[in-house]
Amino acid sequence: MDALVSKYAHSSASPLDSSEGFSQAGFDAAQQFALPMFDIPMVSNPIDFLRAHTDPSAENRIRIQHGTTTLAFKFQGGIVVAVDSRASGGSYIASQTVKKVIEINPYLLGTMAGGAADCQYWERELGRRCRLYELRNKERISVAAASKILSNMVYDYKGMGLSMGTMITGWDKTGPALYYVDSDGSRLKGERFSVGSGSTFAYGVLDTGYDFDMSVDDAIALGKRSIYHACHRDAYSGGSVNVFHVKESGWEFKGNFDFDKLHWDYQAQPKGQIV
Amino acid sequence: MEYNGGAVVAMVGKNCVAIACDKRLGVQAMTISTEFKKIFQATPKTYLGLPGLATDVQTLAEKFRFKINMYKLKEEREIEPRTLAHLVSSTLYERRFGPWFTEPVVAGLDKNNNPFICNTDTIGCINFAKDFVVSGTSTNQLYGMCESLWEPDLEPEDLFETISQALMNAVDRDCLAGWGAEVVVITPDKIITRTLKSRMD
Amino acid sequence: MMSTVPSELPVTAPIEHRFDPYVDNGGTLLSIAGKDFCVVAADTRLSEGYSIHTRYVPKSVKLSDKTVISMGGCYADCLTLTKRIQQNMEASLVAPMWYRHAHGKTMSTAAIAQMLSIMLYQKRFFPFYSWCILGGLDEEGRGAVYTYDPVGSYEREACRCAGSASSLIQPFLDNQINFKNQASERRELSLDQVLRITKDSFTSATERDIYTGDYLEIFVITSNGVELQKMGLKKD
Repeated sequence: MDALVSKYAHSSASPLDSSEGFSQAGFDAAQQFALPMFDIPMVSNPIDFLRAHTDPSAENRIRIQHGTTTLAFKFQGGIVVAVDSRASGGSYIASQTVKKVIEINPYLLGTMAGGAADCQYWERELGRRCRLYELRNKERISVAAASKILSNMVYDYKGMGLSMGTMITGWDKTGPALYYVDSDGSRLKGERFSVGSGSTFAYGVLDTGYDFDMSVDDAIALGKRSIYHACHRDAYSGGSVNVFHVKESGWEFKGNFDFDKLHWDYQAQPKGQIV
Repeated sequence: MEYNGGAVVAMVGKNCVAIACDKRLGVQAMTISTEFKKIFQATPKTYLGLPGLATDVQTLAEKFRFKINMYKLKEEREIEPRTLAHLVSSTLYERRFGPWFTEPVVAGLDKNNNPFICNTDTIGCINFAKDFVVSGTSTNQLYGMCESLWEPDLEPEDLFETISQALMNAVDRDCLAGWGAEVVVITPDKIITRTLKSRMD
Repeated sequence: MMSTVPSELPVTAPIEHRFDPYVDNGGTLLSIAGKDFCVVAADTRLSEGYSIHTRYVPKSVKLSDKTVISMGGCYADCLTLTKRIQQNMEASLVAPMWYRHAHGKTMSTAAIAQMLSIMLYQKRFFPFYSWCILGGLDEEGRGAVYTYDPVGSYEREACRCAGSASSLIQPFLDNQINFKNQASERRELSLDQVLRITKDSFTSATERDIYTGDYLEIFVITSNGVELQKMGLKKD
């Protein structure tokens, strides 16, 4: 029965199937690394088509969710990743509970800024490829290699309207690693990054309070506080703060902190010394 | 409206009216102040709400203060809310082809203590309402909230709760408004002014 | 120029260069998840600009005994997308075999949710103009609501409203379902309470949104299956 079904479905569904971008039955090594297929409008310039329909002035605008503050930094105890949780379409707040840290696998984290769908989709695809790497090579992929896979994948679509600003973090043989990858094709290794509309505010707090030798608790508090200040000043950031700590045994979720509670807690605290 | 952000709402109750506003002043995405005044007392029982472009809000607030004082000197009585609405309307229409970027709200009790509320567009078209009026960047959200929370003949304290809930939940879905709120309930014998603690993001 | 084309075809007809395949057909949809139930509701008006094409067109489709999908935006895109989801629920994604025949079961709500995300992203460069909300029961029998943007970013939430009156209804849901800005703690609501809030939301939204009205269809998903309720809304 199964053989009959697969034979029947194979022949008739082939043309439709390839247009949907899914691979055929049976294992084909080359297909595992092929880029997914996307539907393209049949016009002379598909890029202009998409741009025209996502432009703020378009009549029936397709609003792709935007607006964010995310940050990650290295310190003696590993890496702290902190993000806000707001998604906005124009000035309307579409969601206050977005998960902007994408758990690629137990050792790799990706953050989400720019188009939510772009980040979710490509980091999911990255997770699949990292798993295949593990199966082939019998060892975990390095953060450098993982971030490069992502960077190369999105570089193929450069100029086509993808919008993604992400930080790939994890712990590999070389220790903690942090990379910034965006949809323009940049891939930077660094100690401290903040990405999104509220990143300038976050950098201000982060740079002031940063010390490589700080304790894990202090680092988490600093990440939280940086995102908090960005949420306060930046209209397109807010909701709650999600914090992760990357250490040798993998990443650990350090909690979700509602902005409203954080604000009144911080207000009640005595002001810290800066100068 | 979107440049500085902000929202104002007014509601009618039983022998009382309420007007409320958020306190944000922003420059597009960046919040500059969380203590920005958007509602102004026009007479002992009338308030004027001015959401919109901050520079026009402040200029108009002074302009209306001047006009209301001149009215009082000439007529030797306080201006009625309905009269104030027409004064606002004609002042805005003077700039028909280069308008003030604000959509004013008038809320008050007239000389017989009857509730009066109205709002206008940027060039002074008055909309008289018997229930509630909304204005600013969160109009959609406010309409949804008011339409489902408001009911006729609310007592002052119930009206306060209703308008507060309407405003706070509306601005919590608007990037450009919020950061605290101010509510004024006008009754025949007293004015209740309260500031609300709300989300600061 | 014309002489070079030896046919009777009207080759001189002007060629339109702007490709504008989207219209907004309005309409509002919402979904609320409860402890052991899920409510999916949508109005049935189909409009374009200031005119109403049809007063009764269902926006929600039952996909299985545990899942209902609701869509708004461009109705043509919604129809196509719904059809494709149903096709894929029969034919699996990874192998061109019927999912049910291959796996011996219908797709779970979570599986459909992930599949819909990929289907939407497949058209990243030629998006479906549609807002989707997927409502149903998860593997443990709890209510689940999945919400999407037009290109497939998705999230599981407690409640969500999408479509033309989403900005009117969503703050009300925040207040009444998630108890935002209320002193009382968040508590589980009963099905009756959720249905009342749903109906109130739509009657209110109909007052101010011209694209919402006519009839309301409410799908109630429980462990007993999917039940459909209908209610009249204002027709002006």
